[in-house]
Amino acid sequence: MLEVTNLSAGYGKVEVLHGLSIRIKPGQLVTLIGSNGAGKTTTLRALSGMIQPTAGSIKLRDTEIAGLNTHQVTKLGLAHSPEGRRVFSTLSVRDNLELGAFPRLTGARPKGDVQADIKRMFDMFPRLGERRDQLAGTLSGGEQQMLAMGRALMLNPDVLLLDEPSMGLAPKLVEDVFKTIRTLKQAKTTMLLVEQFAAAALDVADYGYVLENGRLSTEGEASKLRDDPAVKAAYLGQAH
Amino acid sequence: MDILAQLVVSGITVGMIYAVIAFGYQLTFATSETLNFGQGEALMVGALVGLTTINFLIGLNLGTLSAYLLMLPVIMAFGLLQGSIVEFLGVRKAIAIKSEAGWIMATIAIGIIIKNLAENIWGRDALKFPSPLAEASLQIGPVRIQPMEIAIVVGALLLMLAVELFNRRSIYGKAVVATANDRDAAGLMGINTKSVITFSYALSSMAAAFAGVLVAPITLTGASMGAVLGLKAFAVAIIGGLSSGIGLIVGGLILGITENLTGYYISSGYKDVPGLVLLLLVLSLKPSGLFGKATIKKV
Repeated sequence: MLEVTNLSAGYGKVEVLHGLSIRIKPGQLVTLIGSNGAGKTTTLRALSGMIQPTAGSIKLRDTEIAGLNTHQVTKLGLAHSPEGRRVFSTLSVRDNLELGAFPRLTGARPKGDVQADIKRMFDMFPRLGERRDQLAGTLSGGEQQMLAMGRALMLNPDVLLLDEPSMGLAPKLVEDVFKTIRTLKQAKTTMLLVEQFAAAALDVADYGYVLENGRLSTEGEASKLRDDPAVKAAYLGQAH
Repeated sequence: MDILAQLVVSGITVGMIYAVIAFGYQLTFATSETLNFGQGEALMVGALVGLTTINFLIGLNLGTLSAYLLMLPVIMAFGLLQGSIVEFLGVRKAIAIKSEAGWIMATIAIGIIIKNLAENIWGRDALKFPSPLAEASLQIGPVRIQPMEIAIVVGALLLMLAVELFNRRSIYGKAVVATANDRDAAGLMGINTKSVITFSYALSSMAAAFAGVLVAPITLTGASMGAVLGLKAFAVAIIGGLSSGIGLIVGGLILGITENLTGYYISSGYKDVPGLVLLLLVLSLKPSGLFGKATIKKV
């Protein structure tokens, strides 16, 4: 579904990613783990065109998307729930969700039933349903995270990128977020999850990549990575 | 007392014109944090194109009112086009390279070029603009009001209301608000934020052109009509706050009314002073404007 080959990217003259290759099959949940500053967020930003790759190829289905602008990549079916949520604070919860379907409402993607999908989001995230007319800026951090994920799902994406969905949330809410991710996985949503909670991410994922200083150091079945002594020592907080 | 009421009423008229022009500043500032310093010239050229159009239509044996109404869509389309050109030539590149000041000089330069062009096409003299409504004043209570003055207030409010409705109700309007909220996140929704910024410039010049043909029948039209209006509307935008719609109307009214009162009770030579003093006061006491929300700029 998404095939990344030798991707390099960075900010200005500073290269952050040095030739990553990542593959995500349809319906698969792949996670990208690594320490702070390893380049996880940068990878997602390069995939969705928020920064332009300096080398390499990104294929969504069979379309080359490297070098396209963000809005073009989105219209082709890549949804990105960004780090820090970035909800539209002066718009209502409902309007935020509707904007997630912007390409569908403007003819760039098959329309389907947008209103029914909004309702589906309210079923999936009841808190959002209760607050549908509230401005997104007045939501709590956890609710904003739900909204950011719901908004991305409104695209009916081929691939969903999730950047640190648990960041800054209380433990109970982190659990909720992972519960949602499990639900999406059961619904065969193709996802790339970037997480600081490596253990939780590997628990839910099918496959994992470990990113170190802009290079992939290890990859494998998530269950195998979880038992890999080197991964354990570095990312799972178990030294022995 | 009657004179006071009279001065306030004409102050309201002028103030609404300031508010519409300031509204144009607000539209582009929201989406791009830049503004068109040639906004006054956009008003002027809109009014002059309107003048040529309405005279042409009157030449076709149309009544003044129907000619005026037919002219409105023409100058609005002209404003949209003119604003898009300003954005394309003066602002787009500056935003792309995150230039802090390039767009300032560029929009001023385009404004000067437009003014010179207008002087050569329409001459330097002030021209009379046919009034679509009766020019005789109506006596309402203690004050005399020209019908066109009422039309200015109504037209200005309608324009701002229409844009507000578009922003709240239509998906494209919501895309504009989303872009104003967070440009990167709007891009992630599949919104072409560059087009949104071009559109906001187009809309901004459209508002200016509309303000131009609103005010033209009660003043005169000419190449030099824009500069002062543009500058005062800028003061209104600062006083009211660049993020608040109500602020613009209140700011416009404050400036329009104080100008008139000072002009009459003190001296017309000091007409511009109180507004500018107010501007300085606002800048030193509440820099985000009377109704503005202070925004924290993340670097």
